[in-house]
Amino acid sequence: MWLPIVGLLIGILLGLSTEFRVPDEYSNYLSIAVLAALDTLFGGIRAHLDKAFDEKVFLTGFFANILLAACLAFLGVHLGVDLYLAAVFAFGVRLFNNIALIRRTVIDRWIQKRKEKHS
Amino acid sequence: MKDRMIIFTCVTTIIGFMVAVQFQTTKEPEVRDTRNIMELRQALTMEKERQKELNEEIEKQMELLYQLQQTEDVEEVMADTIDELREKAGITEVNGQGVVVEISPMFDEYYSGGSIRSVPPYLLRMLINELNINGAKEIAVGHQRIVSTTAIREANGVTLVNSSRMTQFPLEVRVLTDDPEGLHHAIMSSQSKEFFSYENLSVQSEPVDQVTLPPYERTLRVRYMEQLKEES
Repeated sequence: MWLPIVGLLIGILLGLSTEFRVPDEYSNYLSIAVLAALDTLFGGIRAHLDKAFDEKVFLTGFFANILLAACLAFLGVHLGVDLYLAAVFAFGVRLFNNIALIRRTVIDRWIQKRKEKHS
Repeated sequence: MKDRMIIFTCVTTIIGFMVAVQFQTTKEPEVRDTRNIMELRQALTMEKERQKELNEEIEKQMELLYQLQQTEDVEEVMADTIDELREKAGITEVNGQGVVVEISPMFDEYYSGGSIRSVPPYLLRMLINELNINGAKEIAVGHQRIVSTTAIREANGVTLVNSSRMTQFPLEVRVLTDDPEGLHHAIMSSQSKEFFSYENLSVQSEPVDQVTLPPYERTLRVRYMEQLKEES
């Protein structure tokens, strides 16, 4: 349970300590990639709670989403349309949906546990 | 189950890395003072000079205040002050020793091009800057006095100073200064003379003992100053 959080911390520390920087014009792509990654992560957590988790789907989804989002942003820049906003919107909506579902499932489980304890 | 945790860990590590990189990218770089010792000294000297000027100004004002407090006849002192301020603003005629700079067209036999109607504004500005650098106190271009709000610009190929056309040649620039000889030499050896020659204009200057500068004739428009109300 704690392993992913430790991983997150390690990732952040690694990123901060390497002083790695992306050129300014590419920071848009990175931000959209972060959003896509977060979306996939929360999707994965939800699937895990729903007991519908599949490693292959999760991993391919993770990388495919990041690439797709970056491609969309790239296309948007070249077409002169802010297409990355579409990605931000889609991922944002999905992120909220997933978080809401996770919350509901967690609360349901907690209530059930309490009921079991009382009875 | 263990596999799953490892996958999650990998994914969160990647996310953490990306977030950290993004954070570092968007973080504003520190603005550092990169001036070397020479530049710092220069800045310090400039500030010192500024302080000196301000102190002098304060002293002058204090003296004026003292005078006003001491004298019974406040009106006279105030009238003097107003006169002084009017002179400073350039709305009075002034005379004294100075330099007369004459700008006239200069044609050589190979000259090809249209007629020269007026001195280009950028040259005029350059000349005025050089005069100011070399210690000019008051400047008049033609019959127009240069004051703090004077505009030198071009309209339809004609140069306007204080919105009046400067088409006559030779154009006389009259300058009031404490050191006419020095200013004369500075102008004759200045870079602006060379720039004038590129536009087929020659610059001649002459130190004179008595030169009269006309007053600024138009009404001074005060747009951004406000009256300070004393709170007592």
